[in-house]
Amino acid sequence: MHPIDLAVVLAYAALITFVGIRISQQIKTAKDYFLAGRSLTWWVIGLSIIGTNVDTNGYIGASGNAYSIGIAQANFEWIGAIPAMIIASLIFIPLYWRAGVYSIAEYLGLRYNQAVRVVAALIVTTVSVFAMGVAMWALAITLETFMGWPIWLGILTSGTVVGLYSIAGGLGAVAITDSIQVCIMFVCGLIIVAIGISDAGGAESFVSKLTAANPTHLSAYLPADHESYPWHGVILGLGLVLSPAYWVGGQAILQRTLGAKSQWDASAGMMFAALAKTFVPVLIVFPGLLALVMMAEIDYPDMALPWVIKNVLPVGVSGLMFVAIIAALQSSIDSSINSTALMITRDIRHVLIKNHDPDSDLKIGRFLTLALLLTAMSIAPYIGDLGGIFNFLQFLLSLFQGPMLALLLLGALTRRATPMAGIFTLVSGVVLAALLSVVWELNLLYVAFFSFCYALPTLWIVSGFTEPHSDEHLENLTYSPWRGR
Amino acid sequence: MELPVVWANYISVALFLILGIGVWTIPKSAVVPEEYSGQTWRDLRWWATALIAFQILLYGYFS
Repeated sequence: MHPIDLAVVLAYAALITFVGIRISQQIKTAKDYFLAGRSLTWWVIGLSIIGTNVDTNGYIGASGNAYSIGIAQANFEWIGAIPAMIIASLIFIPLYWRAGVYSIAEYLGLRYNQAVRVVAALIVTTVSVFAMGVAMWALAITLETFMGWPIWLGILTSGTVVGLYSIAGGLGAVAITDSIQVCIMFVCGLIIVAIGISDAGGAESFVSKLTAANPTHLSAYLPADHESYPWHGVILGLGLVLSPAYWVGGQAILQRTLGAKSQWDASAGMMFAALAKTFVPVLIVFPGLLALVMMAEIDYPDMALPWVIKNVLPVGVSGLMFVAIIAALQSSIDSSINSTALMITRDIRHVLIKNHDPDSDLKIGRFLTLALLLTAMSIAPYIGDLGGIFNFLQFLLSLFQGPMLALLLLGALTRRATPMAGIFTLVSGVVLAALLSVVWELNLLYVAFFSFCYALPTLWIVSGFTEPHSDEHLENLTYSPWRGR
Repeated sequence: MELPVVWANYISVALFLILGIGVWTIPKSAVVPEEYSGQTWRDLRWWATALIAFQILLYGYFS
């Protein structure tokens, strides 16, 4: 790595650590730690949501996918995100905010019962720990590729930097550092676009070179018989089920909206994130297309972005781009650690330990943040060997998404859904999804869609035969502006 | 299953239009707090409409 690039990387690490530690001085209570004292403004929330959403798998993997399938990769940022983000902003975030909860699992506990809360928290927590290990491993691989650092040094260094600000500063530090990281990512993305189009001889030349050899690379959808991304699977599975489940029920994403200084800031933050999300393909899809146009000689698609950084960007900017990739990972790891610590502290500990001391939440939250970080760092070097387990956990999470979305939708939008129907639908929906996946070996996009199609009417019908919560209990837990509330 | 790929773009545009109509069924009072009611830029239904319009343009262009 060029000394100027190295200086850029070190300056970034120092800036992030300094900002995080400065913010940590304002932490006095568990609410300060987990919800930033409910002080976040809409633009910080929006940028932080994007920082949490874009990780290195998304960065390097999406560029590689764009190299292979073209602009269709952008569906994950457009129809696979924007509608759900708008719905989250206008309906679900005001609801969670009014309910005064710390987490989505806590909302489910209030809306249905504590069993649903604990099950939801346990599944998300378990998957998150392994996901953090994968992210840490990916970060170490990136550092090894660009700087020649051994894996252990990459894990130790990145874990220390993330730990310094996220353990001390909680959500406030995470959100502010995320915002800085996203700004760096967008600046780098725009520089790549400008240099790439200029090198290709202008926008028209870029498009004609791209489509000459790859005529479908500027088509938003792929044919129905495409193995991985058939267009109806993308619309039904991704657009109608997986995306809403992620944006309406994802704790790491929504936690910063729960830390907003007002309900309007919370909703506007998500809407602003949707605006930024529209342009995320500039960061993660364009480099893959650029590598194609410039006829990059790479062994496999995931090398598209590293090739662009090495061969297209000038000294200094390549260091900044390297920083952007590190930033993408760090902002995902810190958010996962903070939200997972919250769920263990409140959604699992508060329910399972009857005589818990709420005053010790801050101390326990910090301890858990450290413990989760150390766990992720410990398993990171072995992630390759744990691939089977991680895939199983991802599979488990995907089984959960369809039924969980049904519980959130009917729970939030109607007063009909009952606690017993909630538990029944959750358990039977997951079993059905497992059968669809294991016995019929359906693509996970279809599993999500069909399990949702089962769960929604089941919850509706079973609720007709079981005892609902009182209207008074549901007053702040259901969204009904049309009833003049 | 037999529909041409371009129908995916048509369906996407239709879904965004339905969402756009849905957004405007939400009363203003549920979106804008009373203290901001005189500030049009705070009405998030306009933000949503701009986002939806841009998405429709994207799916129209990349068809």
